[in-house]
Amino acid sequence: MPGPRALLGLGLLAAAAAARAGGRCPERGWSWGRGWNRSWGRERGWNRSRGWERGRCLPRRAMHGPSAGPGPAGLRFLGQEEAQAIDQELFTEYKFSVDQLMELAGLSCATAIAKAYPPSSFTTSQPAVLVVCGPGNNGGDGLVCARHLKMFGYQPTVYYPKRSSKPLFEGLTTQCKKMDIPFLPEFPTEAAFIDELYGLVVDAIFGFSFTGAVREPFGSILSTLERVTVPIASIDIPSGWDVEKGKADGLQPDMLISLTAPKKAAMHFTGRYHFLGGRFVPPALQEKYALNLPAYPGTDCVLQLT
Amino acid sequence: MHGPSAGPGPAGLRFLGQEEAQAIDQELFTEYKFSVDQLMELAGLSCATAIAKAYPPSSFTTSQPAVLVVCGPGNNGGDGLVCARHLKMFGYQPTVYYPKRSSKPLFEGLTTQCKKMDIPFLPEFPTEAAFIDELYGLVVDAIFGFSFTGAVREPFGSILSTLERVTVPIASIDIPSGWDVEKGKADGLQPDMLISLTAPKKAAMHFTGRYHFLGGRFVPPALQEKYALNLPAYPGTDCVLQLT
Repeated sequence: MPGPRALLGLGLLAAAAAARAGGRCPERGWSWGRGWNRSWGRERGWNRSRGWERGRCLPRRAMHGPSAGPGPAGLRFLGQEEAQAIDQELFTEYKFSVDQLMELAGLSCATAIAKAYPPSSFTTSQPAVLVVCGPGNNGGDGLVCARHLKMFGYQPTVYYPKRSSKPLFEGLTTQCKKMDIPFLPEFPTEAAFIDELYGLVVDAIFGFSFTGAVREPFGSILSTLERVTVPIASIDIPSGWDVEKGKADGLQPDMLISLTAPKKAAMHFTGRYHFLGGRFVPPALQEKYALNLPAYPGTDCVLQLT
Repeated sequence: MHGPSAGPGPAGLRFLGQEEAQAIDQELFTEYKFSVDQLMELAGLSCATAIAKAYPPSSFTTSQPAVLVVCGPGNNGGDGLVCARHLKMFGYQPTVYYPKRSSKPLFEGLTTQCKKMDIPFLPEFPTEAAFIDELYGLVVDAIFGFSFTGAVREPFGSILSTLERVTVPIASIDIPSGWDVEKGKADGLQPDMLISLTAPKKAAMHFTGRYHFLGGRFVPPALQEKYALNLPAYPGTDCVLQLT
């Protein structure tokens, strides 16, 4: 049986090839097809430094039709109210429990991270990951993600300053602690300390319900994260961004894991990796909201969009 | 058959007795504070994933990849409901038979989720094995699990008799239903696939089908060590591991 690394590599290639459906850039008239060798990015080279614009259809994307966004043709990018409506419907009509969907969401996040940043890619001596959890469900997704990252061989550390007292969150916290995942008593004061200790930061602070001003301690935390140079993977929405308009001077994550469907903020995402996760949306709900989700590959719980 | 591993599969992999399996389960809930919802979701997802690996939709000779999922009255049945839902997401056409339904909110929720995904619930069990063979390419046995003891109550006795005569493959969740959890049942169900959850039970030593998968990738390392499970490493981010 092939070793774990080979299987993971095969999985990466298969996911990328499947997700990279052919398409056209309407403004520029060129097209891209399946597979690595026809990727525009390959000609430009994979540059791992921050701020590099991926060699795809560049930021001035065609804004016509229902798809008005990057990614597979027709894939819809949701507004904040729509995202909240779909979420509510999953709980009230479809009778999913928060436990269930949060478990699947967090598992997706850990899986996407493992595909893009395998343990072997870390330059730190251990594959050390800092998971920063906010006060709500996005933080809960982060706790689930941390636990699965531990199962996948990473060394996660959690920072969870404003803890919900709901039983679900107390349970998630206990599960992490019993897996010997440390909880930092305070946030690293300097971005350089984070860069030194961790090879990746998971941003699980704010999600699709975020509105208005950022309350402390998250303002200071985000300021520090904005100066971090190791990659940041944001769960669902880069924290601090307007859920529809983004935030040009805000966090610039390297990875975004959109849950259920991407939100409009994702149209402003310029990092290297955009994954879709949360493979639990019933077909009838997908149709009702015309999500036009591309097919997930096989039994994978994530789909690489870019 | 020597040493702590006394069983087939990777060296050192332990096959659990019934009481051990129950103790580990209890510890996951009372010490580790997992919820039943969480673990059942991961367990059912494992089962659907294992099934998809061994019996991909393209391998079905029926016109659609039709699967019959037979759910018992307890948690094994719940695993089956989760499995059915994920099979639907993976492109199968599951149908559920769930004659003795728990009234607990978890199970009512799982049932609603399946119905809202247009998964039919049969009003009665096919009377002949031949009808099952005709309509379905696979049967998922989610009737009894590791807590099973004693006699089989109706309607499950008749159901198992019928399933024993079915010729399409049967995939059993955790324990082939009707088997003693440690000793097996020589004249009982002979499934083609077994998905052991958490760790295999001693009954799995009597399993002679083609596919034995391990699922339920949620056992914390400390618990694995405490019970000397000696689980082999799962590949990458897979939620299942093929043992044979």
